[in-house]
Amino acid sequence: MRVTADRELCVGSGACEMLAPDVFEVDDDGTVHVLQDEPDDPDPVRQAAQQCPTRALSVEE
Amino acid sequence: MSVEAPIPPAEVDLATVDLSDRDWWVRPPAERHAALDRLRAERPFAFFAEPEIPGIPAGPGYHAVTRYADLEAISSQPAVFCSGRGAVSMQDVPAELHEFYGSLISMDDPRHAKIRRIVSKTFTPRMLERTLDSVRTVVDDVLARARATAEANDGAIDVVADLAAPIPLRVICDMMGVPEADRPGVLANSTIILSGGDPELIENDDPFTAFLTAGMEMAALMERLAGERLADPRDDLTTALVRSEVDGERLSHQEIASFFILLLVAGNETTRNAISQGLLTLSEWPQERARWAADPSLDRTGVEEVVRWVSPVTWMRRTATQDGEIGGHRFTAGEKFLLFYNAANRDPAVFADPQRFDVGRDPNPHVGFGSRGPHFCLGAHLARRELQVTFRAVFEQLPDLEVTGPPRRLASSFVNGLKRLPARLGGTR
Ligand code: SF4
Repeated sequence: MRVTADRELCVGSGACEMLAPDVFEVDDDGTVHVLQDEPDDPDPVRQAAQQCPTRALSVEE
Repeated sequence: MSVEAPIPPAEVDLATVDLSDRDWWVRPPAERHAALDRLRAERPFAFFAEPEIPGIPAGPGYHAVTRYADLEAISSQPAVFCSGRGAVSMQDVPAELHEFYGSLISMDDPRHAKIRRIVSKTFTPRMLERTLDSVRTVVDDVLARARATAEANDGAIDVVADLAAPIPLRVICDMMGVPEADRPGVLANSTIILSGGDPELIENDDPFTAFLTAGMEMAALMERLAGERLADPRDDLTTALVRSEVDGERLSHQEIASFFILLLVAGNETTRNAISQGLLTLSEWPQERARWAADPSLDRTGVEEVVRWVSPVTWMRRTATQDGEIGGHRFTAGEKFLLFYNAANRDPAVFADPQRFDVGRDPNPHVGFGSRGPHFCLGAHLARRELQVTFRAVFEQLPDLEVTGPPRRLASSFVNGLKRLPARLGGTR
């Protein structure tokens, strides 16, 4: 699995960070930073992509 | 003791329902929800006229969105349904006014996103982890003071004034760096700004003047703090606001003041009402209270259920930027939609047994913090943290808390608020 973030869409809500703190972190600039492009645990990452309020995360399986 | 029947009445006459009438909103929640249920089932885009405010001409009216799916569809298409024509008032108020009181809430991207990002980092789960201890300290102190108040008053306390108001006030003022001496003023002014014009909270029955005065006083406080922080930066949100730049420019004084007001007002009122109404709800559902109190692993789902059940912010507005169709409703540019979060949160198409308060409900995709889209509540993680700490502390430190009388409800369509909730500590005598 590969995950990418569209930082133009991201509003820094931190929903992804709550679900998968090892994979996502909201940076000092207020947008998300992907810490692991190819996450070990795909479940919370899928959930994050689904729950992101601005649909800023894309997952390729 | 149960002070309000949790079971909704079977019949409600939709002809008597006017969502624009602030007095309708003081009716018991069961009655309000019975009406919203019928609207959702029979008239999912029901049309209502706008109330008059002196000095502002009434606009064309709005559609009340009550189905979860429609609300989500509107919220997730911000280009078609914008916030920039006003998100917190039914009327089209002058632009300066709605930006001043709405700040980010009444802005569209890209500016909305740029300004929001100035503070979004502060409100992430990771950052808030660091504030957990200070939230606990605040909650323990407020509960101890409530205990002392009860002891001095024959057991009586007011849940709103003694528990629900001081907790979020202290947390957000600590984060913003508002000095102790200014906090009573912050509480008073944020109450007026979100009073919905409730006559009990407004002197001389002149909501417009009271509202402007409250905004000016908050702006004056900001000016003073902004000056202090520019000279002497600290590790607080106010410093972040005054030092931030968007596209290479500092925010204007007015933008800073309105953002400051938003953070203080939103940080105060919503969590206050989630605490007071949550405690009222638990008194009406004693088995759920006992179940949650006995099991700290329910803190997460319990808080989500309180937010679903209470829906502290009742609606936000969107305005169509073009013609189109949504959920079978054809609309034209300029049409207004009020997104009724409280109605979507009891939509049987999404929630099994929606009129049941279930502290273990999971999944619970409620829209109490807003639905999909860029305006999703900035303070959601902070509110969750405050609520989880507060309810657990109440179960442990105030197990004898007992609601004794009916609440006094805020006469506002916008905020689902309580002004007073009589209770006692010390059990029955
Ligand atoms: S959930 Fe979406 S909007 Fe929120 S921080 Fe993650 S990517 Fe950004």
